[in-house]
Amino acid sequence: MRLTAEQVNVIRRIAREEAGADSVVRLFGSRLDDTARGGDIDLLLEIPHAVDHPALFSARIAARLMRALGGRHVDVLLAAPNLDTLPIHGVAVAEGVRL
Amino acid sequence: MTPGKLARLRFLARVVDKECRHLDTTDRRLFVVAMTPVRAASLADDADLAERVEAFVGRFGRLQDTLADKLLPAILSALGEPTGAQIDNLDRAERLGWVESADQWLAIRQLRNQMVHEYMEDMDMLASALQSGHGFVPTLLRAANAMVGELLARGWGE
Repeated sequence: MRLTAEQVNVIRRIAREEAGADSVVRLFGSRLDDTARGGDIDLLLEIPHAVDHPALFSARIAARLMRALGGRHVDVLLAAPNLDTLPIHGVAVAEGVRL
Repeated sequence: MTPGKLARLRFLARVVDKECRHLDTTDRRLFVVAMTPVRAASLADDADLAERVEAFVGRFGRLQDTLADKLLPAILSALGEPTGAQIDNLDRAERLGWVESADQWLAIRQLRNQMVHEYMEDMDMLASALQSGHGFVPTLLRAANAMVGELLARGWGE
């Protein structure tokens, strides 16, 4: 996994502040590949309750994380009871590492 | 202020003026009724609605990019302010009262990624992104007015 302990702490903290202590955040995608370089930070945020205005919610978290992580591009995929489960969610759960 | 800088500022102000009017027009036409998940799902088969959404997303994105990537650095430079990475410029714009919040501006930029209907498979997310975008149109228009107003106040208008 190509994230520093400090970056993981920042992600955990912001995810909990925004989505609650019962949320779970997983890293998936190219940042799991230790042989790759750079790349976006792909996160799956699992929330056990319905999310209002989900597009804005995930955009706001991604923007906060980008700023906190020095401008690195972050994508936040949401999983919540009121949202569809798409193939990408399956991939993110299967390969993702819980932070 | 060199003639070249002034000409560029005036050019960008004209571009922003047009982009604001075009965004406003398509925003009013598209959101006569709310963007619901059902309406978002109809984009796949409704070519006219899909084109209207495309126009909205394109115009929304172009105005935000022209403001943050072109006009903002040009005004800061004309004022003798340091310019740097976009986020630093946005922080300055927030302090100067031209944008409401740099963080909100970044969130709006992220939101645009979710407005692209061909990429979005969850209609709740697509509808939510477009409807949120509609809600931020006044935010972009106010930022444009503030920046162009600054030019006029400095006597740099046409």
